[in-house]
Amino acid sequence: MEVIPGMAKNLIWRYLIIVVLLGWAVYSLLPTLQYERLSNTEKAALQEEGKLFDLESRIIKRGLDLQGGMHLILEVNVPDFVKKIADNQSMIYYNFMDKVDAAYSESPESDYLDILLQVAEDDSIRLSRYFPADGRRTDNKSIVDNLEKECQHAIIRAEEIIRNRIDQFGVAEPVIQLIGNKRIIVELAGIDDPQRAKDIIHNTALLEFILLKDAEYTQDIINRIDAAVKRISPAEIAHADTAVVSQKKSADKEISVTELLGLAETGDPRDDASVLVDLDIAADRPFSALLRNLGWDIGVPVENYYAVNKILNDPEVIRLLPNDLRILFSAKTQKVQTTDGKAAEFYSLYFVNREAGLTGEVVREAKAELGSVSSEQMGRPIVNVRMDAEGTKIWARITGANIDKRLAIVLDNRVQMAPRIQNKIPNGRTVIEGFANLQEAQDIEIVLKAGALPAPINIIEERTVGASLGADSIRRGVQSALIGLAIVALMIIFYYRGAGLIAFTTLILNILFVLSILAALRATLTLPGIAGLVLTMGMAVDANVLIFERIREEYLKGKAVRSSVENGYSRALITIFDANLTTLITALVLQQYGSGPIRGFAVVLFWGIIFNFVSGYFISRTLFTSFTHGKKPLNKISI
Amino acid sequence: MLQFFKNPSYQFVSKRRIAFIISAIVILAGIVSMFLQGLHYGVDFAGGAKMQIKFSQPINAQDLRALFSEKDLGNPEIKSSGVNEYMITINTEIFDDPDAVLSEALSGLNYDILQIDKVGPKIGQEMRSNSIKAIAIALLLVLIYITIRFEFRFAVGAVIALLHDVLVALAFFSIFQWEFSMPVLAAFLTIVGYSLNDTIVVYDRIRENIKIHKGKPLGDVIDLSINQSLSRTIITSLTTFLVVLILAIFGGQVLFGFSIALVVGVVVGTYSSMYVAAPILVMWGHKFKEKEEPKKK
Repeated sequence: MEVIPGMAKNLIWRYLIIVVLLGWAVYSLLPTLQYERLSNTEKAALQEEGKLFDLESRIIKRGLDLQGGMHLILEVNVPDFVKKIADNQSMIYYNFMDKVDAAYSESPESDYLDILLQVAEDDSIRLSRYFPADGRRTDNKSIVDNLEKECQHAIIRAEEIIRNRIDQFGVAEPVIQLIGNKRIIVELAGIDDPQRAKDIIHNTALLEFILLKDAEYTQDIINRIDAAVKRISPAEIAHADTAVVSQKKSADKEISVTELLGLAETGDPRDDASVLVDLDIAADRPFSALLRNLGWDIGVPVENYYAVNKILNDPEVIRLLPNDLRILFSAKTQKVQTTDGKAAEFYSLYFVNREAGLTGEVVREAKAELGSVSSEQMGRPIVNVRMDAEGTKIWARITGANIDKRLAIVLDNRVQMAPRIQNKIPNGRTVIEGFANLQEAQDIEIVLKAGALPAPINIIEERTVGASLGADSIRRGVQSALIGLAIVALMIIFYYRGAGLIAFTTLILNILFVLSILAALRATLTLPGIAGLVLTMGMAVDANVLIFERIREEYLKGKAVRSSVENGYSRALITIFDANLTTLITALVLQQYGSGPIRGFAVVLFWGIIFNFVSGYFISRTLFTSFTHGKKPLNKISI
Repeated sequence: MLQFFKNPSYQFVSKRRIAFIISAIVILAGIVSMFLQGLHYGVDFAGGAKMQIKFSQPINAQDLRALFSEKDLGNPEIKSSGVNEYMITINTEIFDDPDAVLSEALSGLNYDILQIDKVGPKIGQEMRSNSIKAIAIALLLVLIYITIRFEFRFAVGAVIALLHDVLVALAFFSIFQWEFSMPVLAAFLTIVGYSLNDTIVVYDRIRENIKIHKGKPLGDVIDLSINQSLSRTIITSLTTFLVVLILAIFGGQVLFGFSIALVVGVVVGTYSSMYVAAPILVMWGHKFKEKEEPKKK
């Protein structure tokens, strides 16, 4: 019988290493176990003592997919931003931008600025006529480079502002991160109203105080739009069905937007929606036919909102409008009794100056509240605004010079209110109304305080998981991991008997170690992570199977138990090494190039393989050897 | 001692032509299907919005579909994902504000949004190219590693086997129009890792046996090696297969694509290491080693 004294002597050291490893694993996992057993009231108590944060920083973090939450990727809306900083907007400019936009909508995955440059080169447009240059270089390439730089500046400032907004919104441990020089990642765990959070994050929150155009001017513009629509729409509406009109006892008729505008089918189903048209005037003044007189305001019935918006955005119409004019809708609808006694809902339409007299930059303080009993806004949600010194001066000048004129308070291109200026306001204060409820006013308070975003921001990726689904995913993940574990245990113990028990022990240890390292590294466990854990189980079993098959081979050749075991382990080592290392390469590549959820999988797989060497080989060998190196040499082996 | 195989001596190498024909048929079917119907990309790659919604009252998919078409809100993909629970996928190329579309279509109903996955077309495109890059880099690194540890022809065999596995798995996803999402891609990379694991175990035996049985024809050495590692292969594959099958059955909608890819992958990976990776060594050997071997005798 061969004797291998080296291994037996080593055993004591091996035990020591295993004990240290186990001690470390228990130490790392203890906070997580402790945390899981806490009830909500106990958590609250700990929070008061200030110990909860410390405990939470040592547990296995759950990914958003497991605990519920929102993951957003934000990017500057380049097309809108570019248009925002353009000036000298001539016909050539509009034609040019139309062409750029058309090219972009055909390949939305390409870079907008590249297309801009390409079209400019093709049509020999000098971009420096419309866009600012950085220094003296005014060739198209330099202008586009400068635009690119502006976009990057904008996203960096946006990150700061979004951070401020979220801080004030109050979310525990938000992740706000700039990635590359174009994008921001925002991760908010466990929020219950994702839509509200999204609004707070990506609304530009540009506050503007703009004077309204006077009534004559406005009527003139409406007439011009009427003429333009009449030119582009077919004559059909002119010969309207009078029979229908008389039956309805009202001059309003429902027709589709497509019919009204004589547009080519765009495939947008909203074009087939009905609009209300005042047939008395539809023939001559098709645009006015969509509008209603609401006393001081021009009303747009909600049914007509889409049609009116479409007309106002028609390139033909945009072209004939003067450069110093903006046409804006109200933020809210209002219910008004119409002549036939029915209540109808209307938006208001405002014709205002292009240049804002004052913007939100001057806001020094904002406070949402319900209007006090004595005030005009009694009981209604309002935001009180106080301006800085510079703003106060301008505000006093504007209000002083325009008494009796109307001024629109505009937030993100929507008119909140358009009061008539009664007095000069010398103290830099104003009140904003027009909110649906107090919560909305509070949200506006937050965004006004944090400041407006320097550029329109798009959400280009959103992943939201409700808390209930997260809990369900954990349940399902854990359930399938446990069933998997049971099946693996049954199979290997059935096939390998005593050795199978050793394999099962090392499998459990492997999972334990992976969870420990996740806790120790403050890594996040995601649903794909749990899947990675399940896969790790498969790999761990494989290591043991490889070893046991080798041992069997040696044993069946007639070798003694001890040397069969020794040879089995050492011969399987090289196979396990090669096989695991190639999978390790895959895990590393995944970690490098994968997106969020995939990384969660790769991290677990990576550590699973590392601990497979430790547990599936080192510990397994130690356990096996201690059975075969007892005082009496074994003659039989349970494998 | 319980043994599935007692001294197996199956012929693998001589049956390679049959195996190649089977593989070729599946892959060809996959390619035809790719041309005819393509892959069913999920929102991760195609862009769009996928929302999982639970209703508090019973409602069926047809009624839901009607709600969208009545209000001219297009024809979203609607799939049941549980009791009164649906996955609704809205194409954002037509509607740029899926939240608004959803709330308009479902106004008046009581529902909870369980999950939203919204991906812009640009991100989808980026993810596609990043994924192809990831797979290519992984394959290249593996090729280098195996060349260092074994020989170049082993590396070629392994990589061909890996490509084979990925193509077969893609064929399944195209033919059955299973949704191809980000987790599925992770599963594909796992298949690559798993199949490699299997291939290397067999290769390792071949490397060992080439040294022991000098002078034996390579084909025989390969058959011997596969047979020697056969019970390991079967046990490991069977356990892994069961584990991922459990994941496919109990893991829920979210993990389904991922686990079904692994189920296919485990079977194909096992098959390819025996019938593709190993026989390729012989074919390569025929071309380049034939002249050397007689000299040694």
